[in-house]
Amino acid sequence: MYAEMKQAVVLGDAVRARQLAEGVVDGEGDVVAAIEQGFAAGIRRVGDLWEEGEYFLPELVQGAEAMKAAMAVLQPALRKRLGGKASKGRVVIGTVQGDLHDIGKTLVATLLSAGGFEVDDLGSDVSVDRFLARAKENGADIIAASALLTTTMPVQKAIADGIPSLGLAPRPRLLVGGAPTTAAWAAQIGAAWAENALRAVAVAESLVGASRRA
Amino acid sequence: MNAFAERLRRRETALLDGGLGSLLIARGLAGGEAPESWVLSRPDDVRRVHGDYVGAGSDAVHAATFGANAIRLARFSLADRCEELNAEAVRLARESGARFVLADVGPTGEYLPPVGTGDRRSWKEAFVRQGRALAAAVPDALHVETMTDLREALIALEALKESAPSLPVMVSLTFQRKKRGFFTIMGDALAGSLRSLAEAGADAVGANCTLASADMRLLAEEARAAVDLPLVIQPNAGSPEAREGSVFYSQAPEAFAEEMALVASLGVELVGGCCGTDPRFIRALRSRLDSKGSRS
Repeated sequence: MYAEMKQAVVLGDAVRARQLAEGVVDGEGDVVAAIEQGFAAGIRRVGDLWEEGEYFLPELVQGAEAMKAAMAVLQPALRKRLGGKASKGRVVIGTVQGDLHDIGKTLVATLLSAGGFEVDDLGSDVSVDRFLARAKENGADIIAASALLTTTMPVQKAIADGIPSLGLAPRPRLLVGGAPTTAAWAAQIGAAWAENALRAVAVAESLVGASRRA
Repeated sequence: MNAFAERLRRRETALLDGGLGSLLIARGLAGGEAPESWVLSRPDDVRRVHGDYVGAGSDAVHAATFGANAIRLARFSLADRCEELNAEAVRLARESGARFVLADVGPTGEYLPPVGTGDRRSWKEAFVRQGRALAAAVPDALHVETMTDLREALIALEALKESAPSLPVMVSLTFQRKKRGFFTIMGDALAGSLRSLAEAGADAVGANCTLASADMRLLAEEARAAVDLPLVIQPNAGSPEAREGSVFYSQAPEAFAEEMALVASLGVELVGGCCGTDPRFIRALRSRLDSKGSRS
């Protein structure tokens, strides 16, 4: 059955993914295993196929949509099972001001949500002030900011520069990404960096762990 | 047929310009501000950047109309100034003294389902509207650039052929280098894409952005074998790097010029630069092209 769940995501079949997820919930099956060994394994395979150049943006987006459909069904059950402590942390996410690209950002939001984070997606063309205000309002653990243009990357720095003014140190931590961004850029502005949407989940987990320890 | 179209027909080499946005940022354009807005608010700066390219040896410069379609302008609340902006931008490029002015036509910024919610009909309308505005401004050619979806490029081409029938239309797609070859992010393969554009009536086809000159050289070889049309190749200046909170491109002008001269020698007629390239890159390339005697 897990293989079928994985396959539904790999094929981008949101209808099948939802049915399989409903089967798990209705049959009181193992929700965590269904995510880990089924749907999440599928999205990892989609990521591999992208890296290998077999999959392109439409396949990637459809895979994420299938994952999202399954998670919409599984998340309430997961929360119930974990006694309301299903959230690994709160994330405010958006594409920075002047930048209209939101595909990568939306993928990251979907995967973070699937990975157990509470995600507040502000969309694209989000101002520095809006990122900061929402993060303060939500008590966010992470601000995730995407920039797809070299001309909009400096907005990520402006967010980094604005975070101390919230007076909530060590939170929120800043996570940046987008095609032109690099590890060096992130290090320079004092942010964490994820090379792609799949990596973003692992980086977010490490950030939450780090700020909880701090 | 205008002089630029005649030049394309004779398959002569022409040196284009380099990046525009990064030079406007150097003059104070804020991150998140639309470069097109400077056409109206800071025309002297835009004209000077074009002039710097002309001084560096560009035969043709691109007017600052990349984002001047109504769909993209609407994001900056400038859609109602679409006609004015396209006309002014072409005028500024003309006033720089450039021999040829290419009007730039960039993507809408939307995607078709399942990736986004874009709609072919509204795209066509937006490109027809920009095409009409540009036709009235009389540039020497139109250049559809940085397209990551072949379908959007074909819609733009069709719209411009209808709305500006007297002008040549060049079309450049943006490719990534994958294990199996060059593809757009939507999965359009290089050779097939260029042939589709040629069949749809493009007067020149090629690639710009994302790739640096070394990869573009490989791409140019495949492109040259794929179509018998004038080719246009404009790489980035290497990969973007961060320095002191700003973004820079890593490649030296000489290294860029050396590789682009080789690209020209493959039989690529139109060479220039994209993100990160500036007048130094164009000057270096000009001197290589001239010393090889490729200049017509």
